[in-house]
Amino acid sequence: MTELILQALYSGVLQGGSYALIALGLALVFGTMKVINLAHGELVLLAAYIAYSVESSLGLNPVFAIPVALVIVCLSALIMYFLVDLIKTDRELNSLILTYGIGVILTNGILLIWSADIKSTSSAWLQEAIVVGPLYSMRSEPVFFLVSVLLMGVLWWWLSRSWYGRAVRAVAGNRDAARLMGINPRRTELVSFLIAGILASFAGVAIFSYGVIQPSLGHVLTIKAFIITVLAGIGSIPGVLVGALLLGVAEALTITLASSALQELVGMLLFLLVLFVLPNGLFGAAGRRG
Amino acid sequence: MLQLDALTVRFGGLTAVDAVTLSAGRDEVLGLVGPNGAGKTTLFNAVSGLVRPSAGRIAFDSADLASMPLHRRARMGIGRTFQIPQPLHELTVRENLVVAQRFATGRVDDERIEQVLDFTRLGDRGGRNAATELALTELKALEIAKALCTNPKLLLLDEVLAGLETSGKRRFMKMLQELHKQFDVGILIIEHDIETISQLCDRVAALDFGRLIALGTPDEVFSDPDVVRSYTGGQA
Amino acid sequence: MKIGKLALAAGLLAYIGVPLLLGGNNYVMSLIIAALVIGGIALAWALLGNLGGMVSFGHSAFFGVGAYVSAILTMEAGVPVMAGLLLGGLGAVLASVVMLPVLRLRGPYFALAILAYAHIFKIVATEWSSVTGGSGGLSSIPRLPELFGVDLAGKVGSYLIILTILVVFVLCYRAIRASHYGLALRAMHDSEDATRVIGVNSTLLKAMMLFVSAFMTGVVGAFNVHYISFLEPDYAFNGIWVTLPIIAAIFGGYRTLWGPVAGALTVYLVDQLVFKNLIPSGHQLILGGLLVAMIIFSPRGLLPLLRRPSRRKHAAA
Repeated sequence: MTELILQALYSGVLQGGSYALIALGLALVFGTMKVINLAHGELVLLAAYIAYSVESSLGLNPVFAIPVALVIVCLSALIMYFLVDLIKTDRELNSLILTYGIGVILTNGILLIWSADIKSTSSAWLQEAIVVGPLYSMRSEPVFFLVSVLLMGVLWWWLSRSWYGRAVRAVAGNRDAARLMGINPRRTELVSFLIAGILASFAGVAIFSYGVIQPSLGHVLTIKAFIITVLAGIGSIPGVLVGALLLGVAEALTITLASSALQELVGMLLFLLVLFVLPNGLFGAAGRRG
Repeated sequence: MLQLDALTVRFGGLTAVDAVTLSAGRDEVLGLVGPNGAGKTTLFNAVSGLVRPSAGRIAFDSADLASMPLHRRARMGIGRTFQIPQPLHELTVRENLVVAQRFATGRVDDERIEQVLDFTRLGDRGGRNAATELALTELKALEIAKALCTNPKLLLLDEVLAGLETSGKRRFMKMLQELHKQFDVGILIIEHDIETISQLCDRVAALDFGRLIALGTPDEVFSDPDVVRSYTGGQA
Repeated sequence: MKIGKLALAAGLLAYIGVPLLLGGNNYVMSLIIAALVIGGIALAWALLGNLGGMVSFGHSAFFGVGAYVSAILTMEAGVPVMAGLLLGGLGAVLASVVMLPVLRLRGPYFALAILAYAHIFKIVATEWSSVTGGSGGLSSIPRLPELFGVDLAGKVGSYLIILTILVVFVLCYRAIRASHYGLALRAMHDSEDATRVIGVNSTLLKAMMLFVSAFMTGVVGAFNVHYISFLEPDYAFNGIWVTLPIIAAIFGGYRTLWGPVAGALTVYLVDQLVFKNLIPSGHQLILGGLLVAMIIFSPRGLLPLLRRPSRRKHAAA
């Protein structure tokens, strides 16, 4: 029994890495623009399907899809930014509906181009089992976990050391004050969208590499990213990582101890739990109350 | 009627209100003075329910307000105006008053509404959009009118005169002087102008860095060296 | 209750004209009925947005719950179908009670939370197969009965039922909007604290609007399930019940009483007759594009644009 649980913990942590990337992208955009991108999950999914295409039509390892995904997904993120920027009134509300509509376009676009069949990687290299003690995983899992950790490290360094990174934090903290100090909020918003796109690209390729994908996944990913940000609380990047790992582990445990069908439910239940019991999240500071 | 016992409000590391013990009756006008940041508005926020006390007790009519929701406090008789007027958006002036009266007292009394409109000199502005068609003086008058329509026993006035020019100030002063008598309501008023406070108030409480440093008649308080120092920053 | 001449003419047209002129054409009647179902959800969605100040992406939850509750009660407990409609609405209200804690969240968080809830209900419906029939769903659900000699299960009968449901809903919406509660609700959008200090229990009012919106959507979901006599989780909780009503409401002018329904009739008919022929399996893509375009160019809707001269006089709310 303990072996099963240990295995679930291990798998959960590995998968949590990708979740963290997705949630960070969502949180970053929300931090600077106060806009929740309901199409964020679809960006990730787009990257995943690009990985599929690269693999199936060029016969290459999905890892090589990353540059392609970066280009296409970041371009899409840019387009999203410009569309959101066009909204003049009631931005909080209208951007919700706008990004929801974009999500519908992307999901159906993916459906049209790649059809509704489930897809997953056929790369032997990625699927090869890696055994660490009693713990088993596909090679893709630890590989992409390390990539995630690396990316998060880079992001953390960038946010605290680089000029643009600190500008992003400034705008997220106090937009007007930032503007008074010469920071152009719109450019930092653009940058945060781009970063979200970059993170989404890696996460998408990762998900394709160790899981199955279908058009409806975009929707689910957005919800999971949201759940993680709720778990983490506002303004806490380490919190997002912990929240993501928590979600990953909870899902893995559910699959092991209960059934795989209930896997999605557990995330929702965690979310409800936090809403009721810890409204500021595990690490959150200021409230989300109106 | 209103009893504060060692009321303390902390925001993170900052203590905005520091163990203030104070009482206010229905039969008096009590002034609340102090330099900016002394905690006056925070005290109002705690009494009206917008902010939770970190320690201490607030009692109104012997009832402990502890976690009582805002709307219940309004129904109990605590009325409040905001320093930056907050009219009810999308509604006309009269509708603002109807809502105040209907939800705080349970009924709509047109006569009373007319009386309040008259008193606050808003009689001919009844049909105007409250948020977009009123001048500053009128917005401030509406704040008071809204609070009056809730049939308050205690009225918290937060810097009603701020931003008004001289003639507006004079008109408001007259209104405030009538307020206490005509509507049988206790008043707790925050103002910066010493002249105003001295004319309107029976007693004055002075705050500095959240602490109550003086309590007495206007003359007593304004000649208190601690109070003077709090305003002039040590150059008494 | 003031009923203008225009309303009277529209009522006559709807109740008598349509059945007489179109009653024989099953295809057209089906389209109209489906459009009205969307219209009902659109109306409920707009009510929650206008009065409650909440944008919801999860009305599919209420729709699905209403459908399942009514289907199960009529099938297992022998409840008459018409009562099932009401009970479906109540079931949706119960579902919304679970969502109450979410009310204190600000706009975007509320929307996402509701989205998550809708997902939860779908999963529950799929997994709780002993009660809901699982992913296979339920079939042979009792149809609408015969009343006063009219076979309500037929196209014309069903049409009249859903039409009446919508009329009742609109009248309720209008009544709430015109009442003191309506005033307070409108004020709460931009000045919630100001309303609370004058005695308005804003949380309770918002909860009531959530219940009303849920009830309406549940009733419509229940109607739909007895009309098509078949149900399964993917259909009941499908995203289309979220997307189409939102587009319909915005297109028709979500701040007006009849805008959502008018929008539903237009958008749904165009979707079925035009879009579906262009892109059969991904026609929702065009809908998504329409939504994006509308939000950017005309957030108040497109139909209101057409009536702009007279719109200025009326204060929409």
